[in-house]
Amino acid sequence: MRRVAVWVGHLSIGVAAVLVAIFALGFLTGSAPAAHLDLPRLFPFAAMSLSVDGLSAFFLLVISLVTAAAAMYAPSYLGAHAHAPGVQTLALAAFVVCMALVCCAGDLVTFLLAWECMTLSSWVLVVSDTRNEENARAGLLYMVVAHAGTAALLVSFLVLAERGGGLDFPALRAAAAGLDPSTRTAVFLLALAGFGAKAGVVPLHVWLPKAHPAAPSHASALMSGVMLKVALYGIFRFAFDLLAVPGGPLPASWGWTVLLLGTASAVIGVLLALQQHDLKRLLAFHSVENVGIILIGAGVAMLLGGGRGPAALATLALAAALLHTLNHAAFKGLLFLGAGSVLARTGVRNMEELGGLARRMPWTAWLFFLGAVAISALPPLNGFVSEWMTFQALILGATRLGASGLLAGVAASMLALTGGLAAACFAKAFGVTFLGRPRTAHAEHATESPAPMIAGMLLLAVACVALGLLPGWAMRLLDRPTAELLGGAGASAAVTARGPMILAAGDATAGVGATAISVTAVAALFALLAALAWALRGWPRRAPRRLAPTWTCGMTPSARFDYTGTGFAKPLRLIFAALYRPRREILKETGPSPYVIRRLSYQGEVVDLAETVLYARVKHWIASAAHEIRSYSTGRIHGYIAFVLVTLVVCLLLFARA
Amino acid sequence: MDAIIAQVSRTLAQAVLLVAAGPLVTGIVQKGKARLQCRAGASVWQPYRDLLKLLRKGTVQSDTASPFFRAVPVLVLAATVTAAALVPVLWTPGGGDLPFGDAILLVALLALARFLLAVGALDAGGAFGGMGASREMTVGLLVEPALMLSVFSVAVTGGTTELGLLAARREALALSWTAPDLLALFAMLILTLAETGRIPVDNPDTHLELTMLHEGMLLEHSGPGLACIVLATHVKQLVILSLVAALFLPLGLAQGWGAAGLGLALGAFALKVLALSGFLVLVESSYAKLRFFRVPQFLGLGFVCAFLALALRVL
Repeated sequence: MRRVAVWVGHLSIGVAAVLVAIFALGFLTGSAPAAHLDLPRLFPFAAMSLSVDGLSAFFLLVISLVTAAAAMYAPSYLGAHAHAPGVQTLALAAFVVCMALVCCAGDLVTFLLAWECMTLSSWVLVVSDTRNEENARAGLLYMVVAHAGTAALLVSFLVLAERGGGLDFPALRAAAAGLDPSTRTAVFLLALAGFGAKAGVVPLHVWLPKAHPAAPSHASALMSGVMLKVALYGIFRFAFDLLAVPGGPLPASWGWTVLLLGTASAVIGVLLALQQHDLKRLLAFHSVENVGIILIGAGVAMLLGGGRGPAALATLALAAALLHTLNHAAFKGLLFLGAGSVLARTGVRNMEELGGLARRMPWTAWLFFLGAVAISALPPLNGFVSEWMTFQALILGATRLGASGLLAGVAASMLALTGGLAAACFAKAFGVTFLGRPRTAHAEHATESPAPMIAGMLLLAVACVALGLLPGWAMRLLDRPTAELLGGAGASAAVTARGPMILAAGDATAGVGATAISVTAVAALFALLAALAWALRGWPRRAPRRLAPTWTCGMTPSARFDYTGTGFAKPLRLIFAALYRPRREILKETGPSPYVIRRLSYQGEVVDLAETVLYARVKHWIASAAHEIRSYSTGRIHGYIAFVLVTLVVCLLLFARA
Repeated sequence: MDAIIAQVSRTLAQAVLLVAAGPLVTGIVQKGKARLQCRAGASVWQPYRDLLKLLRKGTVQSDTASPFFRAVPVLVLAATVTAAALVPVLWTPGGGDLPFGDAILLVALLALARFLLAVGALDAGGAFGGMGASREMTVGLLVEPALMLSVFSVAVTGGTTELGLLAARREALALSWTAPDLLALFAMLILTLAETGRIPVDNPDTHLELTMLHEGMLLEHSGPGLACIVLATHVKQLVILSLVAALFLPLGLAQGWGAAGLGLALGAFALKVLALSGFLVLVESSYAKLRFFRVPQFLGLGFVCAFLALALRVL
């Protein structure tokens, strides 16, 4: 009975997702005007409404893509090892609906309500598996950071609403147009902090790698692949739409702030991911990296938009950011579903206890491999396409930004470092988990996941390949959002002007040189050469092939000869020791002679500097402040009333002069 | 249509040239090293003989490896040869609508080859493969940002990362190098040593497990598969040398299929590659291999030079 309910629940989520995807695709490729829907008046002070424009429709597409895959995948996954499948199904439905509502909200009240419900329903998913005590702690941290972020958002919303006299977006736009520059920047920074806490921007990322892996794997895919994007939607909506200066460029300080935050998030996220051996935690850290890459594109678009740089370059940068949003949803969703498939069949998340799964779970392994190539920004898949566009925006932008263009160049080289680190990380993650020999019985006896789970992954894998090989098609989806946010002709006029199979950067008319690639042609050449090399391998004579054990210096081969993930990442742990602050402990128990070792145990650990330095300090301050206040907290009511009265009088004196 | 056919045939001709000449460059470097060490050395054609020998041999594959292991050599070779098709070797670009020759794509294709090789090395389940993969990926990711920076320092002047356009622009300037060019060239030469797996970063002659990087990943491959990877290594070395030549010494590039222009371009290409191989020979014969954890400092020098080159250009 309960199984039927879970199936029906996910099936209806999946059908709804497909319908929303069809609507979004139709909206993005068509020319229908922005849709508007008034909601029943829930509060006396505010009318509520939904409105869908190009940006909303694009994010609806991102949400529905991963949701459809997750809905296909989830029933079998929950059947395998769910703790509370009913609650998880309900929470998932609420979560997805709230994410869609955030992207469609037409006023601040709807936005905040949906935002809050999104946080709460995802929190339910995080703590739903009560068998593990860590989940509850991760959920608490998630709650605290999410609400600190919401508080920052609330302040910036109220500042705008107070000036606007209304809570719907057109009124806010009018209010923002009348703001003085410093207030506008303050409002933007508050919104950036609020959305950044949800998106996992460094240093507000510490909750993310704890909370995302705690949820069931398809929910992790949605949280990492989509919920972070909803927060980015907020940044895009605020920076380019609500707070934008009509007809002029955004303040340069905004662009640089976003660009630097993005660069820091990208590098620090991937560096921390490299040292993880929990598969899902590693993927969660990569979300921090990819949010950083998206913000780099957004920052360049802010710097070049509004006539400060060539319009085509600003459009290129924004298209890169939005395309990476969609791409990351596809490959991160795929990777989380793959990790979930491993978890469901082995019960293990620690990659050091896995190995040899490629022969036991071939579908999961090769789909995960595809995702790994995509996320490492390697051609010819989609991750490379959006990173190439980001690179071009940075380099061509650098020539337009004067002396500060040097910073853009450095950001570009950090982006290259990020790509290299991601490739190293996924060589490790894929190699240690799926290749070599199984290290434990869990891995030894694993079997392939059921077909619905494979189908969910396959959907996202197809999206990864299609978005990489058909850039003209992807750019058409970006036409409306880019044209709305930056004006001008839209993405396909700027990026695929030379033909649907060719990505071009630059603007010949503005005196900026042009660069172009055709991933499709290169992929065709690659496939041709691979086929040729495969055929020629048997030349000049077809020699015999035989199997033999791997040479292990004369000892009996066993899984202990396989390189571990910790060992693989060791060189980087030493090179970046200043950031990691690695700690190691070796316990040696020797026999009668110091050369006979009875037992040897090794413990190694790296820290997240943000957590140990920043958060530990903040926690210490709060605790000591609470300690100081304790002497005034006597428990007598009239004392408290006096405090309230004094505060009120002081506030009246300060703020009620007018 | 004619323009596209002409362009595709040029692209393929350059790729074929780099594949055919790749082993020869290795042979020349080996011969040069031998002569500097007062040995006669093997013939410069020895790499071809080795490849033929490997192609005729049978394959022994690890019994724990997955099916992917068999595909690795082919995919690595294909990615490297695709990268070879992107370097302007003999021609400047002219006409043609298919863009072939972006520097970022070239670096990314080489990274793809490295990634595939590293993943394959983890498949056989021996410690040496993993060790080699770990070290090679580490060096690779340290090289990448510096390589990108020095490419960018050239790219910002041209406003493009298309190698053909950069080469054409550079050719118009002839040899009038300015300080940023020299700094970027210096950075590029340092990175060349790392990317081609030469002393002081790696030692192509060793199979001693504690010192090898690249060779460690090849231990479990044999027969035609090993031949593919060895050929890919030769081609990659020549691709890197051609990249340096295209960015800093693009002299004598031909315009069409005319015999005189083509002969001149071939001769110029041979001279450039010989000069750069001479550089490899000299460095390999006069330096010792660095300890692995000193390599980041060595590459850091390249990064700083590339950064300064970019700073001088932009400021």
